[in-house]
Amino acid sequence: MSVQTDDRYGGSFARDVWTTFVRWTIKSVRNPFVLVVSLVQPIIFLVLFTQVFGGVATSALEGVTYETYLVPAIVIQVALVAAATSGIGLVNDIENGMFEKTLVSPMNRVAVFVGKTLAEVVRIIAQVTIVLSLGVVLGAEIATGLTGAVAIAGICVLFSVWFTAFSNVLAVVTRDEESTIIGANLLQLPLLFVSSAFLPLAALPTWIQTVATFNPITYGVDATRAVMLGEDTMTVIDVTRFGGMWDTLVPAIVVLVGLALAFGSVAIYAISRAASADVQ
Amino acid sequence: MTEYAIEARDVAVTYADGTEAVRDVDLLVETGEFFGFLGPNGAGKTTLIKTLVTLLHPTDGTVTVNGFDAVAEPQSVRATVGYMAQETSIDPELTARENLRFACDAYGVSRAKRGNRIDELLELVELTDVADKVADDFSGGMKKRLDAATALVHRPPLVFLDEPTTGLDPAARNRLWEYFQRINDEGTTVFLTTQYLEEADQLCDRLSVIQDGAVVADGTPETLKRRVGGEILAVELAEPAERERAVAVARDESLFAEGATIEPTESGLAVTARDARTRGTDLLVALRDADIGVVGFDVRAPTLDDVFLAVTGERTEAAAADDGDVQAEAVSNGGDAREATMTDDGETGAAADANGVSR
Repeated sequence: MSVQTDDRYGGSFARDVWTTFVRWTIKSVRNPFVLVVSLVQPIIFLVLFTQVFGGVATSALEGVTYETYLVPAIVIQVALVAAATSGIGLVNDIENGMFEKTLVSPMNRVAVFVGKTLAEVVRIIAQVTIVLSLGVVLGAEIATGLTGAVAIAGICVLFSVWFTAFSNVLAVVTRDEESTIIGANLLQLPLLFVSSAFLPLAALPTWIQTVATFNPITYGVDATRAVMLGEDTMTVIDVTRFGGMWDTLVPAIVVLVGLALAFGSVAIYAISRAASADVQ
Repeated sequence: MTEYAIEARDVAVTYADGTEAVRDVDLLVETGEFFGFLGPNGAGKTTLIKTLVTLLHPTDGTVTVNGFDAVAEPQSVRATVGYMAQETSIDPELTARENLRFACDAYGVSRAKRGNRIDELLELVELTDVADKVADDFSGGMKKRLDAATALVHRPPLVFLDEPTTGLDPAARNRLWEYFQRINDEGTTVFLTTQYLEEADQLCDRLSVIQDGAVVADGTPETLKRRVGGEILAVELAEPAERERAVAVARDESLFAEGATIEPTESGLAVTARDARTRGTDLLVALRDADIGVVGFDVRAPTLDDVFLAVTGERTEAAAADDGDVQAEAVSNGGDAREATMTDDGETGAAADANGVSR
């Protein structure tokens, strides 16, 4: 009894990455929520904050318009929203059976993970580009120019890793779309407000300054803002040995990489457990 | 020497919480067989199938699928089997064509062959007209059909179908059966789990009945039916309240050969006996003499439903009450129909075979 099996799997790692990347990219292009609607809240923040607080805030800032000051925070917010969507995508996959379908296919599991992540990175870059352009239209200035804009997108990608990992852990732990959405979104606003995102920390109460020191968002925002202004903007850690904006960038990137590794390991552990143990 | 598509020995699967979902299961499925795995909800069917397709690790025992060890060479097992999960598994945000393309790429179908194969599969499951529509808009039946097609993109020599027709209307179910039969005729080994005894009877060369994680019966549908111990005579009484008296009549007169089972039913009584057909009229006469009115009368060959009751009932008398519940559940589950129409993978296999060129 012979059945032809000429199609026996011969896929490569790169092909598996590409296959997964294509699926997720089609999904995010097709689903208006993912690409556009998720930008609505950050854009509302950008427009309203600059209009409402612009006058007051600009006087509190030294020689910087509030638009320029705020845009780095908004791109970080965009990265946060995008990172939350990652977990939502995973929980959808679990719910509609695609997670299991992938596991039962001969695709390399690491490649599948890389492919999905790559699709998210591309999306974050696209969204950050949209928001940066809008910011420039509204009057924000990127002191470091086009190179700076690229660097800001890069920082947003790096920054998104810890929250992406967090939302993915929520997804495999709750296995429920609503819980993941609520869990991931619940934290966003409070975390943004108790950081250096919207106002200089010096202008905020001491307890917020303390919390902000331990808030990952502070490091993401300080890094993007340092590039935006081309100067040292970090107030939570005092580093002086690198000079200029690098006094902010180096410590911020160290912190963000550390966070990415820590949260990333937990997520990889949680996802591979979900993949190998009880799949029910 | 016989070639086995599936060779499972002493397989046990215990979940982290200590639940023994499957224990001591021995299973040999020959290449080309249409094998049925029958059991009520929660009996361990899905756990076993997931172990065979490498989604779960056996806690004990060995599993060999298509000649590959499921634990040591999961990649090879995955590449050579098709799996249709119990829950419809498609990406609702992709079109039918995109779902199939994803499946082709996931299973390494060469780009040269991909286009044709997708077209053939779409035609097969009658989704050509909606090929470029997003699957989210499909009816449950269409989704199920698409899911079936995605399980066959790589023309696997062995296909696992986990309750593929659950929830389908009879027409859709028949269409699907035809299709499964066809791929099997072409040489594909099929491993089917089902709660529908009729389905197993119609399709399977051989069956195992599983209950509470263990195989309780094994054989061809005919062998299993023979185990019931004869034909079944059902009598419907004018006054069902008189059923106990009628049962007494059927027993007292020693009408039937030894080994007969005589039991009350909802509307009267049922006799299972080798000579049920020939002695049936005698029972009717005896009932008339006892002044018990009869309004219906039927002799039939045993079905797998009867097998199921017989094998699961005889296993442990102590747990009879328990079993009764399980059976009742199984029957009601078998009866209910969700939606979803599934179809035919037969043509897939056929069409695919026709243009099967090595890449």
